[in-house]
Amino acid sequence: MNLKQAIGKGQRNRDVDVNIIPVMNIFLLLIPFLLLTAEFVHLAIIELSLPSLNRGQSRQEIENPQELVLVILAVKETGFQLKAQGFVFDPLYKNGNQYDYASLVEQLKRIKEQHPYAEDIFISAENNVKYDIIVKVMDRCRETGFPNVSLSG
Amino acid sequence: MEAQYNTNLTFQALSIKGRKRTTHFTLKLTSMIDMFTILLVFLLKNFSAEGQIMSVAPDLRLPESTAQKAPERASIIAVTNDFVLLDGERIAKINDVVASDKLLIPELMSELQKKRQLSEKIGQIHSQMAFTGKISIQGDRELPYLVIKKIMFTCGQVGFNEMMLAVSKPD
Repeated sequence: MNLKQAIGKGQRNRDVDVNIIPVMNIFLLLIPFLLLTAEFVHLAIIELSLPSLNRGQSRQEIENPQELVLVILAVKETGFQLKAQGFVFDPLYKNGNQYDYASLVEQLKRIKEQHPYAEDIFISAENNVKYDIIVKVMDRCRETGFPNVSLSG
Repeated sequence: MEAQYNTNLTFQALSIKGRKRTTHFTLKLTSMIDMFTILLVFLLKNFSAEGQIMSVAPDLRLPESTAQKAPERASIIAVTNDFVLLDGERIAKINDVVASDKLLIPELMSELQKKRQLSEKIGQIHSQMAFTGKISIQGDRELPYLVIKKIMFTCGQVGFNEMMLAVSKPD
């Protein structure tokens, strides 16, 4: 139907039907397809690798070995304790039931400021610390610039 | 002038008296189209072309993390609050794992060795399928670190050095 007809004389009250059957057909095909391929749980991975030859080589490529610093983070049931060469950090005790992530990030940033090339961190946790806490600590380390996280017993 | 989103169906029905009568049906589809449109937008939003590589057991609550790396295909060790599973098969009970004073989990080690041998044999046939030492670990967020440590130690002993911890992305 063209516009002239639609607004033409004596045709004001005519009903216009939009043919939506093709749209319905597309919907009926698309929706089952998308439902089948939908991912409702979004997963990601954190890569951990034990020290191997490859990482030793990349370490030698860095020009100033003095820039590297050994950073060890102890995760205890009572809180965090960060240790690094040339730094003295206060232990970060739990605030009630909550670990003090904000202060941990601040301490990590202090190391990062002095040693911009430091990328390795060792996390050593107590046996009863929950896995969730470990993953959260690893997240904070990665975000602050320590992507090579190693776990030690 | 209002556009009607209807389909018209015309029926010829026989009445009781045998007279032919024409009945006019209109099927209101507007609300269904609305619903479909919303559903379509929602499904298109979380569409991913990669498909699902890992599936997670329903009683396993993965820790949330800001990690963005996409999962890779590898054997999966799932650690729930009750069992250790390797590719869906029950290997050991968590209580036994916690109670043991050794870091090594012997049941898991023997199964992993079988996996490694199989993978190496396949690798001899086709280099693309060679043993890479990759393994994904799905651990429940409530697990103590001790269990995770024992699992990782056992993997490391067998030669699965590239461990990938599965985590869930927050929405």
